[in-house]
Amino acid sequence: MLRTTLAGLLAHKLRLLLTAVAITLGVGFISGTFVLTDTMEQGVAKTFAKSAGKVDVAILPSRGAGKGPDDETGIPADVLRKVRGLPGVTDAQGAVRGEAALVGKDGKTVGDYPTFGLSVPTGRLLRFDVDKGRAPSGAAEAVLNQEVADRAGYKVGDAVTVLDHAGRPHRFSVVGIVDFGIDNEVSAQGGVGFDATTAQAMTGRKSYTEIDVLGPDRAAVAAAVGGSYEVLTGDGLAKRLAKGAGADTEIIRTGLLIFGLVAMLVSALVIYNTFSILIAQRMREMALLRCVGATRRQVFGGVLVESAVVGLVGSLLGILAGIGLGAGAVAALSRFASEVPVSGLAFAGRTVVVGLAVGVTVTVLSALLPARAATRVPPVAALRSELEPGGGRFRLGRVRTALTVLLGAAGLALGGLGSLQMGKGPTAMYVVALGGGVFFLAVVTGMPALVRPFGRVAGAIPARLGGVPGRLAVENARRTPRRTATTTIALTVGVGLMSLFAVVAASSKATSAAKLAEQYPVEFQVEARGGAGPGRDSGGVVPHALAETLAKRPEFAQVFEVLGKDTEIGGRSVTVASLTGRALGTVLKPRIEAGSEAALKPGGLQPGTVLVDKLIANRNGLSAGRTVQLKTAHGTVPVKIAAVYTSPAPVGEVLVPEADFRRYFGAPGQSAIYIQDKDGVPPEAARRVVEDAARPYPTAKVYSGAEFEESVSNAIDMMLMIFGGLLGLAIVIALFGIANTLTLSVVERTRESALLRALGLTRRQLRRMLSVEALVMAVIGASTGVVLGIAFGWAATRAMAEGSVFSLPYLQVVGFVVLAGAAGTVAAVMPARRAAKASIVESLATD
Amino acid sequence: MTSTFTSPPGGAPDAAKAPAVAADRVSKVYGSGDAAVHALRGVSVGFADGAFTAIMGPSGSGKSTLMHCLAGLDTVTEGRIMLGDAELTGLNDRQLTMLRRERVGFVFQAFNLLPTLTAEQNIRLPLDLAGRKVERAWFDRVVDVVGLRERLGHRPSELSGGQQQRVACARAIVARPDVIFADEPTGNLDSRAGAEVLGFLRSSVREMGQTIVMVTHDPVAASYADRVVFLRDGEIVSEIVRPTPDAVLDRLKSLGA
Repeated sequence: MLRTTLAGLLAHKLRLLLTAVAITLGVGFISGTFVLTDTMEQGVAKTFAKSAGKVDVAILPSRGAGKGPDDETGIPADVLRKVRGLPGVTDAQGAVRGEAALVGKDGKTVGDYPTFGLSVPTGRLLRFDVDKGRAPSGAAEAVLNQEVADRAGYKVGDAVTVLDHAGRPHRFSVVGIVDFGIDNEVSAQGGVGFDATTAQAMTGRKSYTEIDVLGPDRAAVAAAVGGSYEVLTGDGLAKRLAKGAGADTEIIRTGLLIFGLVAMLVSALVIYNTFSILIAQRMREMALLRCVGATRRQVFGGVLVESAVVGLVGSLLGILAGIGLGAGAVAALSRFASEVPVSGLAFAGRTVVVGLAVGVTVTVLSALLPARAATRVPPVAALRSELEPGGGRFRLGRVRTALTVLLGAAGLALGGLGSLQMGKGPTAMYVVALGGGVFFLAVVTGMPALVRPFGRVAGAIPARLGGVPGRLAVENARRTPRRTATTTIALTVGVGLMSLFAVVAASSKATSAAKLAEQYPVEFQVEARGGAGPGRDSGGVVPHALAETLAKRPEFAQVFEVLGKDTEIGGRSVTVASLTGRALGTVLKPRIEAGSEAALKPGGLQPGTVLVDKLIANRNGLSAGRTVQLKTAHGTVPVKIAAVYTSPAPVGEVLVPEADFRRYFGAPGQSAIYIQDKDGVPPEAARRVVEDAARPYPTAKVYSGAEFEESVSNAIDMMLMIFGGLLGLAIVIALFGIANTLTLSVVERTRESALLRALGLTRRQLRRMLSVEALVMAVIGASTGVVLGIAFGWAATRAMAEGSVFSLPYLQVVGFVVLAGAAGTVAAVMPARRAAKASIVESLATD
Repeated sequence: MTSTFTSPPGGAPDAAKAPAVAADRVSKVYGSGDAAVHALRGVSVGFADGAFTAIMGPSGSGKSTLMHCLAGLDTVTEGRIMLGDAELTGLNDRQLTMLRRERVGFVFQAFNLLPTLTAEQNIRLPLDLAGRKVERAWFDRVVDVVGLRERLGHRPSELSGGQQQRVACARAIVARPDVIFADEPTGNLDSRAGAEVLGFLRSSVREMGQTIVMVTHDPVAASYADRVVFLRDGEIVSEIVRPTPDAVLDRLKSLGA
């Protein structure tokens, strides 16, 4: 039996390869993901090993002790002194890390966030690579990392200005370009290196983030510094650092593998369909095997062995493709993202094992149902003349109908529950996602019954315009409902997810635009380098003088400041903010969730009362009407919560009247200026006025609402493009499925095609007929996907957050269907050529 | 078959007229070198306009090949095929397709109909492919003659074998081709259904002047024709005019079939 199966496979090499392609693509993607992420991890580990290898012992603040880089929870200087005094210590240096904003050539600080000020160690402890020039030494020298040097356009030998922790400018000469190692923050925000003393002076940090020691063994140092610090060997440090970076790689890997799984799901559908058709076409072969004495079990086993061989061949090719894919991705990465270190391709045994296991398992599982169908062929079928396989009207059985209705209803109910009934948020979105999945299962079970009506609709135009070939093509697409259903569903998966993402993306954009316009109607915002608004972690005050200058300009209707101060309310840390003038409730309109609406009227917020953001209120158990203790510069004062609000714009966590703010804190810890244009002022002119006014203040950066909206929109588009690219694979596999189905159908209809050719169908008309059939199948699959995507995209949008705006990207969605249709006709090219080439006389003679 | 065609007036084949289709020293060789098979060896034969001619011969005699070449389904190795005034040899695939569409009708042994089309759509298929209009009166008459009026909306799977062949005949007649080629049209039918189909073919010749060339190995089927030509080993070896089943059977026996 095994020999028969293998001989049969070898006799149909082309068929074998065509079937294997679906598996090859899916496995290729998965193994490519492993190769890429393994290579990244390996590169990271090597780099850390090299860097940490220069250190004998490293002292780190013990984990959990510090809250963040802002808190002074580093290692105090006396620890360094103590370590230096230990016997056997030849060198020990502390690492300083804080903010030191580099000023660009335009007089503004570089980037939205201040650059990091870092200490560059000396001697053997110099762990950083000096790429150009040399390490800095003394109070007048600095080095830059490559990224920030490129961004700001500085090179070795240039003179630069860097602001210290108090915002005072200092001049340095750039003496080198230094690679600070793999450090996402430094890569993103930029790094400026000084010698240790200068670094402390610039950043204002008195303590160290790490102390590196040369000489003694770990135990001696650990004993000396006590239990409140972590003491690691060089190797331990390398592992610790690599593990931290590995978490990022893990996220990338998981994300890519999810798309890989979607691709494998589509592959499974394609394999299932191919095997079903093959079994139907080889009914006589199966029956003959039964006639000559093969048992059901043997026939079943034969089909499974066949699928295993197909899976094995496909997976092996897939792993090869994966290595290529991974190598390509690595090459692209090292070219466009230089901060990712790459050294040689990593190819783990795990990649092969997982690739083979997934590929073979999916193939064999997909072939189980067709294999069972093969055992149902009675031996006498060998003698009967063949009926058309899979043809005829399809009726859903009672079980299938019930299942379809049940799943469909459950899916809709879950979707409705998540989008309409439940509280907005992640849980509701999971429920919608589950509903989408369940409803998709209903589509899978019910699709064969829907193919005929759908085919009529999708084929209406081609049937009318395409003449006889067009009409025949539409009938052909409808004649084998099960086959067409599975073929189209494979495409539905990819296009459906694509449409879902497109709808959610468009809705997110519309939502953010609507919220910005409604509650944040300012054209410009001037912020101090921090850029995140008067929230926590944003530093800096925009000089009040600038606000006054701007307020005098005729171009602006409103100029006001948002003042902020980090403090505590009821013992919990919060940022208290205040809007100057009459902005609250007129320009910025937070939504009152509970409490007094009057608080938003101009002057409505009474002295001694506050507004609290809903998130903060929930987190700290605060509610409207309560009185809480607010920590001020002069001790704690009781304040009454007038209302709880929500706002899409960052207006602060606790809002107090301006006079109260001045009384409680004096000067603000941070501030921003908000500017509203007068009607009719051209935006470019207004922008120029603001820029000119802000020029004397290096940290004052101008942002516009339009720019913010654009950056949100760009970020969403970018995300959509990445998803689209990754989903593209699932769509390509589905197109192979269409090609596969058509190829097999062409074989099956050899005599029919010959008859048509004899009766006067030209080759071109025959080819067009198959193209139209593919077009109809692709349009059915894509349209179903689009409808599902839009419906559950709507539900997801509803479930996402309060006040979400649904937006339908018409053009994109129509584009998906048109593109799918076009791609479908491309998939028909090969089968159509093959059909047109066949000789009429020979085809008429075939059985 | 009770109803008959009333016009155009039929009659016996007119020998003076040019043949509707003719082969002139036609040879057909499959393969090359030692493996070459000579299916036809210099066959010259004409098929009179308005006549019903049968081609007979033992298996492998080349009768199907001759028909395929005459119908423009296959190319010849040597010689010429004339369909009326048109020479088929040398036409490309597209020209041949157009010629078949306009001037040739087919009735095959089996698998004559497209399973996705109704009987009516199948009958109209050649006209639709050629983009020609269906003459309603003519269509109705043909349909009534073959007795398919009640079955026009059915698909082939809902028709009996005899009905399917009658649909195929109607399809061939409706387009009014110069020649109808029938390849074992009764091969899959019981004798009663076969007799109906053959009677129908004969009356279309007698009463409408249709030209039919039929390949068969059944002496009874051949006896419906006006003339029978016999092939053996790729050559015309004999012919009978106004055949009877017995005469055909005797001749076949003498040819060693």
